[in-house]
Amino acid sequence: MKKKSASSGPRKKSPRKSPRRQKRSGFWRFLLRAFIIGVVLLAGWMVYLDAVISDRFEGRRFEVPSRVYARPLELYDGASIGAAALERELKLSGFRKGDGVRAGSYRRNGGRFVISTRGFSFPDGDEPRRRLALTISGDRVRNFAVVSGPASPIVRLEPAQIGGIYPSHKEDRILVRLDDVPALLPATLMVVEDRHFYDHFGIAPLSIARAMLANLRAGRIVQGGSTLTQQLVKNFFLTRDQTLLRKGNEALMSVLLELHYDKDDILETYLNEVYLGQAGTRSINGLGLASQFYFGESLKDLGVHQIALLVGMIKGPSYYNPRRHPDRALTRRNLVISEMEDAGLIDSVQATRARGLPLGVTEKPSYSEDRYPAYIDLVRRHLARDYREEDLRSHGLRIFTTLNPTIQYAAEFAVKDTLPRIGYGEVRKALEAALVVTAKDTGEVVALVGGRDPDFAGFNRALDAQRPIGSLVKPFVYLSALSRPEKYTLITPVQDRSFTLEFDDGKRWQPKNYDGKERGPVPLHEALSHSYNLPAVRVGLDVGIAAVKDTLQAFGVTSDISEYPSMLLGAVSMTPVSVAQMYQGLATSGFNTPLRTIREVTDAGGEALTRYSLEVDQVADPAAVHLVQYAMQETMHEGTGKSAYYTVPKELSLAGKTGTTDDGRDSWFAGFSGDLLAVAWVGRDDNGPTSLTGASGALPVWSRFMAQVPQHGFSPVVPDGVSYHWVNDREQALTDENCDNARRVPFISGSEPERKISCSGALQRRIQGWFEGLFR
Amino acid sequence: MKMRFVPCVIMTTAVLALAGCAAPGGSIYVPAGGGSRVPVQPSVTPGAEEPVPVWEQEKPETSAPAPVTPPAATAPSYRDSGDSLSPAALSLVREADRLLDQGNAPAAITKLERAQRIAPRSAEVYFKLSEAYVQSQQLGRAEQFALKGLSLAGNNTGLQRAGWILLADIRRARGNVAGATEAEAKASAL
Repeated sequence: MKKKSASSGPRKKSPRKSPRRQKRSGFWRFLLRAFIIGVVLLAGWMVYLDAVISDRFEGRRFEVPSRVYARPLELYDGASIGAAALERELKLSGFRKGDGVRAGSYRRNGGRFVISTRGFSFPDGDEPRRRLALTISGDRVRNFAVVSGPASPIVRLEPAQIGGIYPSHKEDRILVRLDDVPALLPATLMVVEDRHFYDHFGIAPLSIARAMLANLRAGRIVQGGSTLTQQLVKNFFLTRDQTLLRKGNEALMSVLLELHYDKDDILETYLNEVYLGQAGTRSINGLGLASQFYFGESLKDLGVHQIALLVGMIKGPSYYNPRRHPDRALTRRNLVISEMEDAGLIDSVQATRARGLPLGVTEKPSYSEDRYPAYIDLVRRHLARDYREEDLRSHGLRIFTTLNPTIQYAAEFAVKDTLPRIGYGEVRKALEAALVVTAKDTGEVVALVGGRDPDFAGFNRALDAQRPIGSLVKPFVYLSALSRPEKYTLITPVQDRSFTLEFDDGKRWQPKNYDGKERGPVPLHEALSHSYNLPAVRVGLDVGIAAVKDTLQAFGVTSDISEYPSMLLGAVSMTPVSVAQMYQGLATSGFNTPLRTIREVTDAGGEALTRYSLEVDQVADPAAVHLVQYAMQETMHEGTGKSAYYTVPKELSLAGKTGTTDDGRDSWFAGFSGDLLAVAWVGRDDNGPTSLTGASGALPVWSRFMAQVPQHGFSPVVPDGVSYHWVNDREQALTDENCDNARRVPFISGSEPERKISCSGALQRRIQGWFEGLFR
Repeated sequence: MKMRFVPCVIMTTAVLALAGCAAPGGSIYVPAGGGSRVPVQPSVTPGAEEPVPVWEQEKPETSAPAPVTPPAATAPSYRDSGDSLSPAALSLVREADRLLDQGNAPAAITKLERAQRIAPRSAEVYFKLSEAYVQSQQLGRAEQFALKGLSLAGNNTGLQRAGWILLADIRRARGNVAGATEAEAKASAL
């Protein structure tokens, strides 16, 4: 340092006339100046180093990724879940198969489960540790009981972590406080890495000397003399070059760090900083995360053998990686156990017992990154409305999403399993798909698949594929009509007959049915359930394109809606997610429910920052929506959606609508059960033809999904002002229940037919009217 | 106006407590593994090489047979009333009640949303949410939740009356006198 300053220091020329004595004193003066300059420069350098190290120390202590959680599984009598699904959920939340007594373990015997929860701090309160017993039978939770811990008829499991939003350096960590760390851990750390941590001032010259001697003797590096403080400083600056200058800087910084912060601060930062492995691009930093990553347990629950392994791994996290090199890791761990015993941290009984235990490492980390890329993509877009990216990357926020891992699993399976079986030849290979699933009455997005390979974070078709919706628009055309009960009922005859529209500019438009046939007058409900094009256009033109557009906008459509009559056949481009939003109102009797992926965001300490509450907004007359729901159920029994029941149990009542665009470029299906709303899209990224219809492309994916999920059937409550009547829909007349052609159809009260005919078609109305008059 | 409003809501709560026990029935639950499917596989994919996949169970889970469910739905389904509250949902609603009594409407809403997730088709939860929003002075939301509850009240006159009275109170507090009168008329017509 000094030398450098001398050579680079300013050299003032002294006057030539001076004698020798003057020369000598000039030399001393020069030396003094050089020394002073050197000291100033060194001081400056130290100030600089101090600023660097303080900045890094302060910064690092608070840069924590945000964690994204799935919805917590609610367990209670009657909860809907299968045994295999429950086991999957438990594993995802980091539970281990075991005795069911130790916190974080479960025991399964057929459908019988005993689960010991670890407890979790939710934004709305703590869920304490409990031991639960339950039986899964018929895909439902039965005999639910809290065996130990505070009693409750309903308990939430800790939610699975499904993603993280990482700082740009991709370091992942779970912050721990020194007070929360079992005392054995830092004690072991000091025994193994730095015995005089509490006595030295950042560097330990004696240890360095000892290490140098040992290294000289061995002729290679066998021992390091670094203190924990030096290791921490080394960790801050990732370069691995072993230059003297770097060593010097490191030593200086260590001393400076010790001057600024007390020992416990440094130790706590070390515990959170130390590098312990790699998971893809994400680095595992700190013992808190390492404990989760290797054992699936929190630091406070670790046994002696696990603490020994973690501390032992610090020397070489990849060399001693217990998953890849279990033998090396075991030898190293047992060595640490012996050192713990020698230092008196544990007695010989404990040591022997610990040495006899297996490594206790989970097969794979309970959380792996990017498991649900499409869903996380949607979460990030929602977060971007309220949060800055840098806050998400560094403030350790906790994001509680609405993802239901069980339903996501079923959705991914449905896409992966079905897509290779539909279409044929080159088209089959080119097919892509998207599937959006929401909880019908909450608007929570519970699953999202963005392509045929759900693990691939590429083009997210569920959010970004803007495609014409085809016949998915028809329920809204008929809803606009059925909202005028004086003119339209479900049995109003509508004309399935071709016609040509001529526009002012001379262009002509002649819509056709998919099958090219014409059926003449058909009842409105049949026109919808069989998705005939000609009546839809006629009805739409009758109520007016503006009215249909109003209906669509009321149901949340924000994309451009063309004013051309072709919009009545779905020339409106939308993404699968926006279709789900639009159908939410249909599924819930006219109540729009904004789609949500996030329930709550809290800061690292659990303090709520933003809550996204349930909202409902009535946008249509429930009575008219009920009539449309009737026809959409009919679609599943008699119409274009009936092939669903080759896959779905017959008992599961469903409602839905197919959608197909020209040449099968887009195959859609949107529909719902009592619990779930799902929208499936199948098509090609290049927008090429597929020859698929909504029924042969998207419906198989949709039904495959619905069939795997235990759920309630769709059975809407009859709204105020609606009454059901037995009718003969061809004659537009009331009829008897036991007539062959009788159908029970809902009407907005007052719009039901007045005539009544017998099974044979004879008029009965007058007689009945006369009787009614008699008793009124 | 608000001073007069609060007692009405309390009265509604009392009606609700009675109505809660009376609500019958429940949605039909269909386990994934159980039930029957249409047996014959028709060709629905013109030109397809193989038929659309038929049902197969993901994994046989328990030896217990699935509970027998009602006959296959062959006609559009509907029902006359919503679901009654399960004990689990009821316990959450009671906790919410306690929080409302303490004047902690935001915490009550969180509890009620949890209840709504597990009992999304029961009118009581929505009426209770409506009350919670009344307490937090968000009358617009309160009105919507009352309407949503009413859409699930079906032919349960107790629930209907509770809903219409609640709605009348909210509308009056919002200055919608005509709407309030209409809702009151509905209530008294029951």
